[in-house]
Amino acid sequence: MRQFLSLLWLSLFSFSIFASAADYHEQLNLRPLPLSSLLASFNFRSNTTLDDFDKGNFRFFPRSLAQILQHAGTRELHLRFSLGRWDAETWGARPWDGAREGGTGVELWAWLEADTDEEADHKWLTLTNALSGLFCASLNFIDGTRTTRPVMSFQPEGDHSTVTNMHLLYGVLPHEVVCTENLTPFLKLLPCKGKAGIATLLDGHKLFDASWQSMAIDIRPICPPGGECVLQIEQTIDMVLDIDRSKRPRDNPIPRPPPGDQLPCDTSKPYNSHDTCFPADHTNQEWTLSQIFGKTVKGTCPLADSTIPPVCIQVPDSRSVFVSKDVHEKKNPDGLSRCFDIAPSTELEMMLPRLDEGASTTTDIVTPETPLLYAERSFTGHGQERGGVQTILRNPSPDTAVEFIYMESLPWFMRIYLHTMEARVAGHSHANKSLIQQVYYRPALDRARATQLEVRMRVPPASTVFLTYDFEKSILRYTEYPPDANRGFDVAAAVITILDPQPETIGSHGGGAAKSARRFAAYTLRTTSLLCSLPTPDFSMPYNVIIFTSTAIALTFGGMFNILVRRFVAADEGPEAGLAVVLGRLKGRLRGMLKR
Amino acid sequence: MSIQQPPDNGAENSKSPVNIEAVTPSNEAQTKKQPPPEKPSDVRRRSHIILSFWLIVLCLGLPIWWKTTTIYRADLPLQEMLDWSDGKACRPVFPLRISIQANALQEQEAQNLLRLTQHALDDLNDFSGHHLRLQLAPPSATEHHDRDSVLTIRLVPGDTTTAKFDPHEPVLDITYPPNGIPSPTSSSSPLATYVASQLRSTFAEEQATISYLLSTNSIPSDHRPQGLPSDVSDSLSKRTTRSLKYSPTYHLTFSLFTSGSLPSSWDIDGAIGEYMKPVLDVLSPIHNFTIDTQVQLYATPGVQNQVLNKEDLSSFINAAEWPLSPSIGGAPTVNFIVFVGNQTIAAPSQTPGDSDTLGPASHSWLIPQWGTVYLLPLADDTAHLPAEALKQPLLTFTSHLLSLTGTPQSGSLPLRLSTLSRIRSADLLLRASSTLGSLARLALALPSISIPSRVADGVSKTMHHLRLACETLGGPEGLAHARIAEAEAERAFFEKSMVGQLYFPDEHKIAVYLPLLGPVAVPLVMGLLNELKAWRKRRREAAEAGREKKRE
Repeated sequence: MRQFLSLLWLSLFSFSIFASAADYHEQLNLRPLPLSSLLASFNFRSNTTLDDFDKGNFRFFPRSLAQILQHAGTRELHLRFSLGRWDAETWGARPWDGAREGGTGVELWAWLEADTDEEADHKWLTLTNALSGLFCASLNFIDGTRTTRPVMSFQPEGDHSTVTNMHLLYGVLPHEVVCTENLTPFLKLLPCKGKAGIATLLDGHKLFDASWQSMAIDIRPICPPGGECVLQIEQTIDMVLDIDRSKRPRDNPIPRPPPGDQLPCDTSKPYNSHDTCFPADHTNQEWTLSQIFGKTVKGTCPLADSTIPPVCIQVPDSRSVFVSKDVHEKKNPDGLSRCFDIAPSTELEMMLPRLDEGASTTTDIVTPETPLLYAERSFTGHGQERGGVQTILRNPSPDTAVEFIYMESLPWFMRIYLHTMEARVAGHSHANKSLIQQVYYRPALDRARATQLEVRMRVPPASTVFLTYDFEKSILRYTEYPPDANRGFDVAAAVITILDPQPETIGSHGGGAAKSARRFAAYTLRTTSLLCSLPTPDFSMPYNVIIFTSTAIALTFGGMFNILVRRFVAADEGPEAGLAVVLGRLKGRLRGMLKR
Repeated sequence: MSIQQPPDNGAENSKSPVNIEAVTPSNEAQTKKQPPPEKPSDVRRRSHIILSFWLIVLCLGLPIWWKTTTIYRADLPLQEMLDWSDGKACRPVFPLRISIQANALQEQEAQNLLRLTQHALDDLNDFSGHHLRLQLAPPSATEHHDRDSVLTIRLVPGDTTTAKFDPHEPVLDITYPPNGIPSPTSSSSPLATYVASQLRSTFAEEQATISYLLSTNSIPSDHRPQGLPSDVSDSLSKRTTRSLKYSPTYHLTFSLFTSGSLPSSWDIDGAIGEYMKPVLDVLSPIHNFTIDTQVQLYATPGVQNQVLNKEDLSSFINAAEWPLSPSIGGAPTVNFIVFVGNQTIAAPSQTPGDSDTLGPASHSWLIPQWGTVYLLPLADDTAHLPAEALKQPLLTFTSHLLSLTGTPQSGSLPLRLSTLSRIRSADLLLRASSTLGSLARLALALPSISIPSRVADGVSKTMHHLRLACETLGGPEGLAHARIAEAEAERAFFEKSMVGQLYFPDEHKIAVYLPLLGPVAVPLVMGLLNELKAWRKRRREAAEAGREKKRE
């Protein structure tokens, strides 16, 4: 991870140098992960000067998006489409330190320029509606009940020294299923449209087949010291591909277990007979780009900065990587990554061969960095009414405490009891009051506003903290239930922003005021989203109620009415009634017919 | 079981003395035991009970049910709305004042000339809605054009009779030979006829357009001239379908599309400033324009043929892949596309009407209500497009913009623009009126549609502004009022909450009402029927008893 970080910083640093020279840059980073996974990080970044932006002249910056930004008065925008779960136990720390990913579904936060809250809300509505059309996502469902205004968790990444009246709004749609129709507009925003350069690898079939994927769009103004202010759009796609799964042939995509004699066995384990097998965790196999992505990289985008190598891979120098000819390999000094320069019109094919049998498994991939914090969130509670949320936060570091902000935006129908919120170190039975340092809580309004909960807390070194609180599930109105009400209601992921302990030192490393602002968060992670099942009525209920009450009313009314208006006489005084009368009448009628 | 009793209507009606008489003398063996006669107070009480139940149902239940289930329909002035759409409420009249400046003439001479010209004009004119009225500008007036009149005629003595438009102001300069001044007694003059025919030809297009607009809407025929030639009305209908809907603001989007990676930059800013800005400035009193530009590489057109036929032109725009999304906000987008490629357009087909659609060099074509595509052949290695290379495309775009905004084709530019604003106000007026008519017809046709009060508000606002627009037609306020009226009418017509109620089928109502009302209604109705029968029987018996008494 340190290597990855350093590479990131290197690219950021080099960007700040070349910002004036080239306005577009793209790079693909490949990183083999344990258990035969592969992390592919695509990064596309383009700039336009604020002057050109205001005048409406667009070359690299997409016009369709710019028009929306101008119309909605948006100064900075972050949009995330994510799918799947990042397996931190196996894969380690997240790419980009978690700064370029969102919770499952769609996440959007933006800084809008507005004088009043109402104006900001109005612009936010415009923005979400327009983006929903542009990205074919249901962003227009981000209404007042899904919008919050985080206080502690987010800081602008860009340079907004001239603007004072900015409003941060945050909306999330955990239920949204990200799919190909979101990728197509995403690719349309790129200057080379996925027709040249690394974007040619992006294909909906592979991207949405990944174990985890996250598409991000970040727009921020950047003012380099002494230079002209630019508006930067950064598009990022990260995905973790399962190599075995990706290598399935296209014509036979149904996965089948391999026959017993082809099962890879873990040879380091002792076997007492030759017909037993412990399946190996990480099957050591070779892969090529075209096997995994279905195609090769078609040249480079001619607009891209040619000084930045388009493709990099993070494997130890001791491993050999085969590439097609005319591709120049450049090993980085850290010994753990290498980059490839491609001529504009050559195709890049890359092959990572299988390791020799004797080589130790520790050297074949770069060991993933341990993340600063592990987080898991789950529901507790019982019955249809009482619920609870428990978040397990584990600090793996043996000597450093982690300070972070835990943010949840909960739907209004989860009414939380704030007094039940407590943090407890594992192994202790009592809550530890010193763990929670600050709480910002904005209660929900029924059908109007979501609950917003931001907790600033710290986890001591090498310990696990349980953060728990209870809530009550409310009963919705009949028409408020979605068609699939029994599936449950998605609850958005909690956002955990780990604060940077020493912003100054890293700021000087990055070199610039903008950098130190960027380093507000050392690491960001999101828990998985939850599925909350609310008490769901039987939806034929209204008709049942109508029929049932009608019957009851009819019975009582009929009886009562008859009692009131009938005259009661002795049984032998009344007119003859019953079956005998009816039979007698029928007989008489029959007789009459026979006579005729 | 041979006893056949008369059908009995219930135990209660066997108490009257007649009944008892009828039964007691019966000679049947097994006489049935009869209940004792009912007390009259009991009978009365039963009637009261039934009556009160029915009163509750009718006086309380029905009104509550009616009140709670009725669909709100605001009162709409339906007849007035239909009048507007039929053109009965407003007679679009464009009084155009034309001032004549004749500083070289005597007052008397000028008045005489004016009278003769007006006569000549009235003889030529057959369209009452479009009336040209001449007036004499005071001799002391400055050289400048008078704001109230649409055109100023400047009469200047000269050698021959000539007419020339001032390029910057709506002024027509007419020179006349010294002998052209009519004598006070003459009843006709060549100069007056000449001026009249000049004026008529100047305003012929406007007249034709407005009468075309009136004829396509359901304006009664006596308000519009007959006999618009079919070719004129054809070309007018083509032009009106081509032009964009009126909007105070238009977004102009200039896009450079190329199928490869080059060229990737262009000097569009400079080119617009040089070649297009002057026309945009002239149009600025009527429309605002916002401009943005984009460069799009690796764009494949919808048609790959080398030679584009007429049918290919409509599918050339690759709408699925090219980012030409409509702009947000209310204003429509006009797209101007420069496509770098060496495709050519096949010679236009034989129909003469189409020839003006294609540019002179057949590099460009106009897409009605959308924009223009210009094919620009370039060398393969051109990386940057300078402003000079964009001159021809931008000039084409400029002329197409004028026809997309619906500007008439003849006359000087200032005159064309003032004509445009009159045509637009007539168009908006008619559009708003016909929307009102549609709304009225909709309200009449669908009795179960709900009409919220917002719609009524919109309608009343529309009619208010329509009335104002009708009074000030031809002026700038007329355009403003017509614009408001049109927007309000559209808003009223497309009111969202009107639609929801439509899809509630009547079967559902039956399913809800029947289980409740059926079982309740049966005893109530049966009780009422029995009571009525008993009452009739009682009356008959009472009458018979009375008759018998009389007989006695």
